[in-house]
Amino acid sequence: MKFGVFFEISVPRPWGPETEYTVYQNCLEQARLADELGFDQAWAVEHHFLEEYSHCSAPEIFLTAIAMQTQQIRVGHGIVTCVPELNNPIRSAERAAVLDLVSGGRLEFGTGRSATWTELGGFGANPDETKKTWDEYVRVIPKMWTQERFSWQGRAFSMPERSILPKPYQKPHPPMWVAVTSVGTEIDAAERGLGSLGLSFGGVGEQAQKIAGYRKRIQSCDPVGEFVNEQVNTVSFLYCHEDDEKGITTGQRMAGTFNYLSEQTLATRQAYPTPSYLSPGLLYQLRQESTSGPEGRVPEGLTIGDPHRVAQAVARWEEAGVDRINFLLNVHEMVPQEDVLASMRLFAKEVMPQFQRDETPEPAGATAAGGA
Amino acid sequence: MPLTGTRDLLTIADTAPLLTSLETEPWELKGAQHLQLHYELGGDRQALLPPSLHPSIPPTLLVNVTHVPDSEVGAFTLATVRVGCRAGARPRGLLVRGYCDSAAATSVLRERWGFPVDLADVHLDPSYARATTSVTLDGATILAGELVDPQPITGADVQYMATLALARVARDGEETLLIQVDPDYTFDRAQRGVPRLTAFDAEAWNLPGASGAHPISASLTTVDMTLPRLRYLVHPDRDPLKAVERLPQAQPA
Repeated sequence: MKFGVFFEISVPRPWGPETEYTVYQNCLEQARLADELGFDQAWAVEHHFLEEYSHCSAPEIFLTAIAMQTQQIRVGHGIVTCVPELNNPIRSAERAAVLDLVSGGRLEFGTGRSATWTELGGFGANPDETKKTWDEYVRVIPKMWTQERFSWQGRAFSMPERSILPKPYQKPHPPMWVAVTSVGTEIDAAERGLGSLGLSFGGVGEQAQKIAGYRKRIQSCDPVGEFVNEQVNTVSFLYCHEDDEKGITTGQRMAGTFNYLSEQTLATRQAYPTPSYLSPGLLYQLRQESTSGPEGRVPEGLTIGDPHRVAQAVARWEEAGVDRINFLLNVHEMVPQEDVLASMRLFAKEVMPQFQRDETPEPAGATAAGGA
Repeated sequence: MPLTGTRDLLTIADTAPLLTSLETEPWELKGAQHLQLHYELGGDRQALLPPSLHPSIPPTLLVNVTHVPDSEVGAFTLATVRVGCRAGARPRGLLVRGYCDSAAATSVLRERWGFPVDLADVHLDPSYARATTSVTLDGATILAGELVDPQPITGADVQYMATLALARVARDGEETLLIQVDPDYTFDRAQRGVPRLTAFDAEAWNLPGASGAHPISASLTTVDMTLPRLRYLVHPDRDPLKAVERLPQAQPA
């Protein structure tokens, strides 16, 4: 089991001149501490226009800052929105390659397509097309990284032959992932040999079934990249405190606030009738899971409470077949920064050592050896 | 805390209906044709909502026209224009004025669900290539629009937002409240198209400054719809987290 941190970068109103600066600096400090404590990955979302919920619209820059301030931790795009109106695929491949180079081969490349009309409508994107454009992107980007010269005639974009430069440091290319927020996308990931990022539907028991389906399907996949990235990442809230009650109370407030903020956005499904969007919005299943526990009890798998309780939750994820858990550390700056850092330290001291760490180079198929 | 509205709804409550009972029975309306034109809202998003509601991100303008071919009060056509918003974390559409072409239906809608509707000429005309709608009040067109380029979809793809209707309620004294009306829908047919709003008199809908700024989608459905028992009220001037009142007859959501 590996552990990571996951940044949405939510910024509460009122927005004074220092507000966004302070939140960004807090997140960078959390990333530096995560690196020191032995967390394996730091992921950052790509979101646009999502007032207060997420001000993380340029994750490649934020992740570059993390990479420059840390030594070991891997940096993850969680995710690059694979929609032409938001990101040109050539620029996505170029930016990712540069980040992989300057980080010394520490990039994890997540892909997805956005879940909100707020974002898609803001860029004039057609929600009916995003699944198709995502599929095209994940097939061409690894070719851009590995072929010296590349050309393409496709549906989402076309280009004459060019050398797309630079190439990533990891060879043959960085590991690729898919954001999985609606049922069935885990099979999309498996069919393409991609890692499953944020597999968060249903309770832990239900996830175990989905993970088993993913693991089975990926055995016969037709990988879009040069190697199969068979890994399952999930995401949870983390608030670890010596006082179990305080840990639970604070963690549940974080989950509730996250839910409240995300519901203020306009899910694609609410605005634009289409079979292309079955999931009711941003990390909906995570939000459901985090608030749907039996009366008076912490929902299963939610990593909040004292170290013993948090370790039990991690163990449940491990049993379910999850390889990595990424933690949301704060929401809306509701937890003071010193308490966030204390929670991370306590987790690293009391919980992390209980889980066997795989120290082998990660993942199979991609190496950071530089020249191939 | 997300942004909240600033509008004092008491200033427009005089035209709102008076409910003397909150224990209405459901009303099943079969074979209704329902047109929705969904736009991003132009105008001051906070000035159109009361303090108990958050503007959605982005705020929206929802034009809904329902033609009911038959009911206990005969056929009628109802037009509403709502502001898409959030009551706490729930998606809702605020209704402060609507129009209906039947006096009998207007009375039922006002007295049993608190719909702030008045009489006007309301038309909904679906055809193969488009569906047009218009509302005429005292000879003036206060709404005209259409769905164009219809494409078949399934009813499962369509989501309608529940309404919060501005009404006065006689309980221990008279209160100005928002009545939640969240109909059940059973879809028979559904089409999606492009919305076109060609005339909109914001003042006539009690939404000063509002406009359809950017088209999102249009849908035309044939549905059996049931106006429900009342379950929730919203106190317009309260904090969003304390504004919702669950009625005794409400079943757990």
